Amino acid sequence: MTTPSRLRIAGGTVYDPANGVDGAVQDVCIEGDRIVAELPAGVPRLDVRGMVVMPGGVDIHAHVAGSSVNHARRLLPEEHAADPVPAPPLADGAPARSGTGGTVPSTFATGYRYAGLGYTTAMEAAVAPLAARHAHAELDDTPIIDSGFYVLLGNDDYLLRQIAAGETARARDYAGWLLGVTRAYAIKIVNPGGVTVWKGGGRNVSGLDDVVGSSAVTPRKILETLAGAANGLALPHPVHIHCNNLGQPGNSATTLESMRALAGRRAHFTHLQFHSYGGERGKGWKSAARDVIDYVNGHAELSVDVGQVMFGSATTVTADGPVEHLLYASSGRKWVNVDIELETGCGIVPYAYREQAAVAALQWAVGLELFLLAKDPWRVVLSTDHPNGGTFLSYPELIRLLMDRAYRDERLKAVNQKLLAGSALLDGLAREYTLGEIAIVTRAGPARLLGLPQKGHLGPGADADVTVYAPDADRAKMFAAPRYVIKGGTVVVQDGQLRRASAGARLAVRPDYDVAVKKDVKRFFDDYATVAFENYGAEP
Amino acid sequence: MSAAARTVEHATCLGCGCACDDITVVVQRGRLTEAKRACALGTAWFGDGQVPDVVRIRGRAGTLERALSEATRLLREAKRPLVYLAGDISCEVQRDAVAIADRLKGAIDSLAGTAAPGVLAAQRRGRAGATLGELRQRADLVVFWGVDPDARYPRYSARYAVDPVGLAVPAGRRSRRVIAVDVGDARGPAAADGRVAIPPDAELDALGAMRAQVQGRTVAPDGPFGTAIALVHEMTKARYVALVADAEPGPTPSDPDRAEALIALAQALNDPTRCALSTLRGGGNRSGADAVLTWQTGFPFAVDFGRGYPTYRPHAGAAERLAGGEVDAALVIGAPATLPDSIARGLGGVATIAIGPRASAAGWKPVVAVDTGVAGIHEGGTAFRMDDVPLPLRPAFGGEDVRSAASTVRALRERLEGAA
Ligand code: SF4
Ligand SMILES: [Zn+2]
Repeated sequence: MTTPSRLRIAGGTVYDPANGVDGAVQDVCIEGDRIVAELPAGVPRLDVRGMVVMPGGVDIHAHVAGSSVNHARRLLPEEHAADPVPAPPLADGAPARSGTGGTVPSTFATGYRYAGLGYTTAMEAAVAPLAARHAHAELDDTPIIDSGFYVLLGNDDYLLRQIAAGETARARDYAGWLLGVTRAYAIKIVNPGGVTVWKGGGRNVSGLDDVVGSSAVTPRKILETLAGAANGLALPHPVHIHCNNLGQPGNSATTLESMRALAGRRAHFTHLQFHSYGGERGKGWKSAARDVIDYVNGHAELSVDVGQVMFGSATTVTADGPVEHLLYASSGRKWVNVDIELETGCGIVPYAYREQAAVAALQWAVGLELFLLAKDPWRVVLSTDHPNGGTFLSYPELIRLLMDRAYRDERLKAVNQKLLAGSALLDGLAREYTLGEIAIVTRAGPARLLGLPQKGHLGPGADADVTVYAPDADRAKMFAAPRYVIKGGTVVVQDGQLRRASAGARLAVRPDYDVAVKKDVKRFFDDYATVAFENYGAEP
Repeated sequence: MSAAARTVEHATCLGCGCACDDITVVVQRGRLTEAKRACALGTAWFGDGQVPDVVRIRGRAGTLERALSEATRLLREAKRPLVYLAGDISCEVQRDAVAIADRLKGAIDSLAGTAAPGVLAAQRRGRAGATLGELRQRADLVVFWGVDPDARYPRYSARYAVDPVGLAVPAGRRSRRVIAVDVGDARGPAAADGRVAIPPDAELDALGAMRAQVQGRTVAPDGPFGTAIALVHEMTKARYVALVADAEPGPTPSDPDRAEALIALAQALNDPTRCALSTLRGGGNRSGADAVLTWQTGFPFAVDFGRGYPTYRPHAGAAERLAGGEVDAALVIGAPATLPDSIARGLGGVATIAIGPRASAAGWKPVVAVDTGVAGIHEGGTAFRMDDVPLPLRPAFGGEDVRSAASTVRALRERLEGAA
């Protein structure tokens, strides 16, 4: 079958939560690269009777492209050697590319594997502005999926100076300029202030009111300033926050304080699992998932993704340099640190989560608790913080854990129980996600939170990104190998095989801001930067 | 060719890995007459902007069309083709070149192979590093380990690690202490504030002793490594140490254990204080080749697509393959003048296609040679600084002046990807 410009996906059981469709048998019609309401009789049809039809998956937070990811790739030759990816045999002999997998796959393999999983959009979650040009080049080499990235702010010296000087409006204009000049999609904050302290010869910040250089600059001020900037610039996605104290026992207090600091403002808190621990440093860990998710449940302006830990290999890669230094010290594994001038950091440690390791088991349980105690699936997105908590290839297994209580309970028995006392999971959580809820946490919800009206649903005018699954009682199997994936109207996966690899589009914003700020930023560049202001960013 | 004078500001020089992007290039009557702010090495790299414009097939002038057909035939017929990424091409060209190697199920290597010991050491251990600008902002102690950057990286000190004012070093040079570690003849800068001499055969032991000292396993200060241990005390007292070493091969072959010991020392120093190891890399966008190969294949150099997917052969790179008679056709993309001797020698024995700046002048007599412009002088795109910072290239000559490597390599790729 070639890809027709019109196609009726006929007779499937459709889950399209954004349009209130929850398992109705109906057709989905495609014309060109869009969904349309109806098509005349006689257009080509894809008979999917008995199958499950959903919009293409949307990954709101993954690390798939750019300089940190490439540092991680370079560090993992043994993983790549163990997971070769031959070029897929595309229809009509179209050129395809080979690559390698592992926890941090090569770019072509990344695109093919996302598509093979039924995901058609993915957002790279952390790009240093200095390396934006690099990230775009990698995304250009990542086929099929539409993609964009979040640009790192919150440890950048120019911003901190504006905060110190009380120049809130200029901070907002600077963020607007930076988003445009780097062709980014959203503002990402990683460990506000903490990376700056680490680069300055200290270790980290420990809470929201630690001083970062100037007494006027604290993690709290950074969060407030950038959340305000994102809202002031009317960005489609609010500020995307990786809180202070990632991975530390007792960090739920910091997480909740960060949420309270932004009360009433839109904000997305990412990989919440890594920020939902009780206990105390040096005195042990426990779950604080209930406290954290209760707060989220009660605050409609907040959204989160979970950052589930999955057992097996992972690679931790983050702008949070100080955290990776701790992990290096405790794990003794190989470690990359790259301090990035005037902006941020980068740390990498390959890692493995083992069922028999007490902390890994706790992390696994905390993630599941967050999912299972969440009241509003529209604000809780499925993620593993790929490849930090596990790779995106583990999403099907995660879906099974959410949908199948018997399976989950069986797995729970096999993990180290030492730190699980008090965990809601141990008390027994009966909830099983429905297919409709899975469709929300993997596509409809993240699309809405990203402010992408053309994604995550199957209504007329939406992008023709559609995934068709053959039902299977084993949900991991079902979600691991969709029968059909249609991206922008092109049938890329056909009968379970990747057959076409169209290019993906770039998602970027270009907010309005007062251009007067450019003069001031240029002065700062002339004084301190090693890259010319004119050469900065990623404008073509 | 246009006769009007032209000035291009913020041009990036690829004369060495410093990739200075503050160059103002002046073109008058079709000649590059000035590269303001470039050092002598950079001035030589820009030259007068004149490059030959020849297409040669088996020693005779030919058309581009015929050259591409001949190249396509040679490469398709080859059983064990090699693609080599030489210097002075953009990342965009490198991306197409990797696609060609993938299509041919050939081997591909690049100038990164010349710095293999450092790459391999970093793959075993990781690394503690920073972009050059962070050294500028932070480093209050700069230790040059057996290298004086002035020779091969002339503006490294002026632009990055030593002279400039930084956020945490407000008085520039006066806010920093510079130590030269002289390892035999490999001497640090003459203008250092202090010197430590280490005999070459004691270098590894000295690095090991220093690391032990950093980790609290006290080493006798009056032992053979007394001065090195004294340096450790200075390092741990500093706020941010820049440890600078040359990653390119010098007069003596680089030792993989040494590269690893330097990384280990830099990593260990991040317990008591902060430290970044800065490894100096040559020019021509070689760091870009390393980055592109890594993102497209998962491996930074010495990749073999022979099985239909990338495999890593770090100890059987281009030089070894050529020497071992394992190559029957080679495609060299980039400036032949940038090739290491071992590669240039090996290419003499096989059928080669050369596409790049001054390809027609290649000493090993390519079967097909297509001259192109130089990335950053005649054509744009992206190049990487030695610290992996991507920079745009701003060519002083317009695209109409000189045949571009980008369009030539793209045309070859399209032919090879088309139906046979
Ligand atoms: S230091 Fe290197 S990059 Fe800078 S001008 Fe000289 S040769 Fe060119
Ligand atoms: Zn992340």
